[in-house]
Amino acid sequence: MKTNVRFAPDQSVQAFYLFFIIHTSQIGAGLMGIPRILVLESGVDAWIAVLIAGVYLHFIAFIMLQILKSYDNADILGIQCDLFGTWIGKALGMVYVIYIFQLLLTVLKNYIEVVQVFVFPEMPIWLMAFFLLTLMIYSILGGFRVVVGTSVVFFFLTIWLVFTIYKPVTHMDWEHFTPIMQTSAGDLLRGAQQVTFTALGMEILLFVYPYIQDKKRVAVPTHAGVFFTTFLLLLVMVVSIGYFSPDQLTQLVWATLSLFKIISFSILERFDFIAVALWMMVIIPNIVLFGWMIVHSLQRLFNFSKKPTLYILACCLFISSVTAEKRVTVNELTTLTGKIGFWIVFVYPVFIYLIILLKKRMKKRNAP
Amino acid sequence: MSTLLPMNKERYMKTSKQLLNESPDLIQKAFKHEEQAIIVQYIAYQVEKEKLEDEVMEIITKSKHKWSNEDLINKIPITSTSQEDNMDRMIQQMIHGSVSIYIEGEKEAVLFALPKQEHRSLNQAETESLVFGPQVSFTESLITNLNVIRWRLDTSDLVVEKLIVGERVQSEVRIVYLKSLANEENVETMRQRIKDLKVAEVEDTSVLGQLIEDSSSTVFPQLIFTELPDRFCNSISKGRVGVMVDKSPTMLIGPMNLFNFFESTEDLYMRWNMGSFIRLLRFVSMALSIILTPMYVAALTFHYEIVPSTLLVSLGQSRATVPFPPVLEALLLEMLIELLREAGARLPTKVGQTMGIVGGIVLGQAAVEAGFTSNILIIIIALSALASFTAPSYLMGTAIRIIRFPMIILAGAYGIIGIVFALSFLVIHLLKQKSLGRPYLSPIYPFQWKDFNESIIRLPFQKNAERSKSMMTKDKDRYSNDKANERKDVDRL
Repeated sequence: MKTNVRFAPDQSVQAFYLFFIIHTSQIGAGLMGIPRILVLESGVDAWIAVLIAGVYLHFIAFIMLQILKSYDNADILGIQCDLFGTWIGKALGMVYVIYIFQLLLTVLKNYIEVVQVFVFPEMPIWLMAFFLLTLMIYSILGGFRVVVGTSVVFFFLTIWLVFTIYKPVTHMDWEHFTPIMQTSAGDLLRGAQQVTFTALGMEILLFVYPYIQDKKRVAVPTHAGVFFTTFLLLLVMVVSIGYFSPDQLTQLVWATLSLFKIISFSILERFDFIAVALWMMVIIPNIVLFGWMIVHSLQRLFNFSKKPTLYILACCLFISSVTAEKRVTVNELTTLTGKIGFWIVFVYPVFIYLIILLKKRMKKRNAP
Repeated sequence: MSTLLPMNKERYMKTSKQLLNESPDLIQKAFKHEEQAIIVQYIAYQVEKEKLEDEVMEIITKSKHKWSNEDLINKIPITSTSQEDNMDRMIQQMIHGSVSIYIEGEKEAVLFALPKQEHRSLNQAETESLVFGPQVSFTESLITNLNVIRWRLDTSDLVVEKLIVGERVQSEVRIVYLKSLANEENVETMRQRIKDLKVAEVEDTSVLGQLIEDSSSTVFPQLIFTELPDRFCNSISKGRVGVMVDKSPTMLIGPMNLFNFFESTEDLYMRWNMGSFIRLLRFVSMALSIILTPMYVAALTFHYEIVPSTLLVSLGQSRATVPFPPVLEALLLEMLIELLREAGARLPTKVGQTMGIVGGIVLGQAAVEAGFTSNILIIIIALSALASFTAPSYLMGTAIRIIRFPMIILAGAYGIIGIVFALSFLVIHLLKQKSLGRPYLSPIYPFQWKDFNESIIRLPFQKNAERSKSMMTKDKDRYSNDKANERKDVDRL
């Protein structure tokens, strides 16, 4: 396998789309339930954990960019093969593929459960999976540009949901934040680790990099995307700590969606129905981008042609989302994905970067 | 095997007749002039007879000299002349309205173009009407249309390319663009697609449009058809490529994006704030037209909770006697509206109005009283039908009405989840469309912030110096921004 990908202008996008790609692949199912998970770990200081995690996210984004910059036009699959040889590289690439598959499955399962809880208790899982996977196939068939377009357009279609948060803000109780800074450092760090679970999806940078036109301008949109994610997480965290009482928060599984319950307009009594349904549009870029990553990686690694791979992927996802119910609960799956994801996305790149540095130094020493 | 001149008089006349399938309308006159046999041939109704007799025959017969082809061309006061030695091509020209004059013994026949065409004169536009602005519309005659375009776009920069389409029945096609502005690639795409066509005949511009469109499996039109010269010329002067087909009053323009279909030239003629308001109104009405009925169906079938309690009471009262589920009720009424529209379109204008009253008011009222539908649904359906008619492009309005039906069915089956699924599908579908290879959802994706100035809203002309980026025109600016700002008002400091 070649380390560098041949640059195809008609399949590439401008650098500023990285903002949308990174942001929409991070925000998704995780945001729905983050307040409870965080509060369980770090109590009312959970928002500090978000800040710590935000700094770490920027650090990882920086490391990822450094890795990519040390090659011409490579993605992580090529870099792994270059560093560890073809066989180990391909095996590590497969680890990525399996991990993204699991992530995709987690997102699917989470959203389907939310729909069952909030809107349709009788909605069959297979039907929801069918809906979401149809959209995934339809979008990915259009090629990389349509995949990026999906993330851009759906970002604009859903970002206005942020503004509906003004209503809970007016009902916030600032007393909930006290006592401030009482949580131990260990709890805060554990909370920060939980945040990084929510922000999974950043690894897409390592895959799309060869398809970016102006490589010099990559840094700003990447960090802007990460920053915007952190900002949204912080906003949701602060508002839900202020809005719900601490005891209530530890019991609400999807606190973010529960925030929508108070919003009502003169022609819409219960906005949360709309919000949960519209959350599908938040999920779609996730599914489409992750699906593209899998199909693309399998093509890079084993030269599988894209269309059959896509259909087989969709079948696998469909079957596993319908049958996985009996073996593992959604909660266990989410925790597992989070743990695996933490090591793959937020620790492994640092390791790769160190190896690249080492290699460079070796080369310098060997060179006369 | 084509027959070539020269030949003798009898054979010439016989061959001509054969080539025209013994047509009774072929007029052949052979006469002797100064010992020369001269044969004049034409098709009766294709030629302006008076001109022929006054300007050609008179000169020929009155002359005292022998005639030669050179003399004919030099002495007869008609500008469009040609010589032809191939009989087939000669007949072809006669079909288009030429008179052929053959002097026995010459190697070629001389053809004078004196075409007579019956067509209506310039009229007011019928399908796309403007309240404010030029009223004239194109006609079926290509010559008249070209005349109008040349008159509106008074510049030597205008390129009019001629192409012939059709294997069996040939039609003349013209590609129109501004040389110093239009993107070379767009012109080339258009030209190539028309050249590559292998069809027996092209009936109309709209048929040609469908043949060269990027995707035929979608309901959304990808090229704009218009009968308004001002819209056509305005698009050309923005750098787009236009196509005209002979015998068709509609013109075709490309490349287009989704938002262009909601633009009317009227937005330009009105003040910018009015224009922007009306344009935004159209977008809102399109969104409503798609969403309203499905939302009603979803809310009443599954999600009573989202309807406010005060409204729910009146809704419940009006639906109390309706025996059908909301989906069926909505589909029934949507069908009714579509029927009214179709019947109104087929009938003559005067009958059409009566039909509207009978169908709309009487039927609607009776349906409610009979307990078939609820009042509120009638309001919603009427509103969304009205909204769909605001699209300046008839094809786009129809597309919007068609996509409502699957949405209503999905809403009836899966409630709001079905609606969001359908909307997402629609958005991805639009993302995948292209117009002449250019992205269809243009200012949104690929994202062009500055193009919002003249697609979503319309900024005042003074503030809008740059041409839209997605057009990729050769000339980036309409005018220099600095010069425009340097105004020399007396009362300004």
